[in-house]
Amino acid sequence: MAAVTGRLRRLGGAVTRWLTEPVPLGRLAAFRTLVYLFVIADAVVFTPWARAHADVPGELYRPLLIGRLLPLPTPTPAVVWGVFAALVASAAVAATGRLPRLAGTAVALLYLEWMIIAFSYGKVDHDRFGLLVALAVLATVGRARHGDTARSEAAGWALRATQLAVVATYFLAAFAKLRWGGLDWLTGATLTWAIVRRGTVLAEPLLEAPWLLIAAQIGIVAFELLSPLVFVLRQRWRYAAVGFFYSFHLVSFATITISFLPHLVAMASFLPLERVRPVVWARRLAARGRESAGGGAAGHPVPVAGDPTVGGPREGPDRPPPQ
Amino acid sequence: MDTETPVTPLTTPVTRLTARGRLIRLLVTVLAGGLLLAGTFWGEDDHFPFGPFKMYASAVDPDAPTVDTRLEATDATGATVLLTERNTGIRRAEIEGQIDRFRTEPELLRVAADAYARRNPDAPPLTEIRIIIRWHEVRDFTPTGDWEEEVVATWQP
Repeated sequence: MAAVTGRLRRLGGAVTRWLTEPVPLGRLAAFRTLVYLFVIADAVVFTPWARAHADVPGELYRPLLIGRLLPLPTPTPAVVWGVFAALVASAAVAATGRLPRLAGTAVALLYLEWMIIAFSYGKVDHDRFGLLVALAVLATVGRARHGDTARSEAAGWALRATQLAVVATYFLAAFAKLRWGGLDWLTGATLTWAIVRRGTVLAEPLLEAPWLLIAAQIGIVAFELLSPLVFVLRQRWRYAAVGFFYSFHLVSFATITISFLPHLVAMASFLPLERVRPVVWARRLAARGRESAGGGAAGHPVPVAGDPTVGGPREGPDRPPPQ
Repeated sequence: MDTETPVTPLTTPVTRLTARGRLIRLLVTVLAGGLLLAGTFWGEDDHFPFGPFKMYASAVDPDAPTVDTRLEATDATGATVLLTERNTGIRRAEIEGQIDRFRTEPELLRVAADAYARRNPDAPPLTEIRIIIRWHEVRDFTPTGDWEEEVVATWQP
């Protein structure tokens, strides 16, 4: 008995260590900026039809369970535009890394309401579970500065939870296909139907080769079922697997115009984003330009938006307190 | 070169979670995972965000006609107008998602006329709206090019 509980405790400890494996705060900061900037882009550009529900009479609003439980107001132009403005404003603050918990919580709640407005008219999309999880967990991590190499378990859990949500989207989609389509899904005409409905010129030739579409369907289910292996791969192969996931969506977009953009943003939680420093690069380039023009600022630390004062290669003691 | 790049020390400091913080995160992860599993096997879209990931999950019969729904209107000048997400704010999939409602209460199409008028205040008013399904004939995975149309609902002011 004692041996069993001991073993269980060790297993629980191992699972928790894996769930909270520390990552550099700079990675969290970069992911945070990416996610919140995407939220703005999504509200303004990529999901215009959510805003368009402002003009749709309330009779077509069929609130989802969560909207009935809470209960949320039936969208009117004032409700829709109010949520839109608050969402964009809070995401703009959160993208800078300021007020990470307050602004982050506001964005998570407002984006959820934004999606309830989007999906309560007869169609629910399945492309953003990972993004919703990312928004929820990002608000649990305190300050994180761009470029900070110090690692944090709180940041590690946020990225791990997002990765789990991304992979669950693939893995559980295979079971949904079994539940609705059964094994017939593999040899059915789902892709043919998708191409007829929304295929591009690139996809039309595929209609001539149904065997290829059946092979693609089998490949899709195989890849969905195998997707959790991404967690046991060594780093290099893991990046290759994530690259494959991205390429799958590129092909889907090129053939049947399904983009899954929010999911793709959440999937960046797998990447070493701390190495992407556009502001640093831009300033370095500018400094180099000045140097060659006779100014000479190269070699000096460069201040970066969202960072505190630059103090040199090793960051100073003003790191957020442990939580 | 690159003297301003922070040097990564071999051992970077790690901010740990408290035991309580770790336990809460473990429980939240397990709870969310449980809800998502339940949603996958027993849930519906209504259970968003924990509903099943059923995008393109139905098996399509390779010999059954393919459905292609559209919302179409005639305006006061007699012109035919295709009603889209752009000019009404209503997505095609939303019409399909509520098609049974429109079938039994076609007068509900009035909301599409209202939405169109709000988004296009200068356009001639609509005098008729129809939901039409074009059934593309498919034989052995291949659309034959033939189709039939079904008018599901019609509304006039």
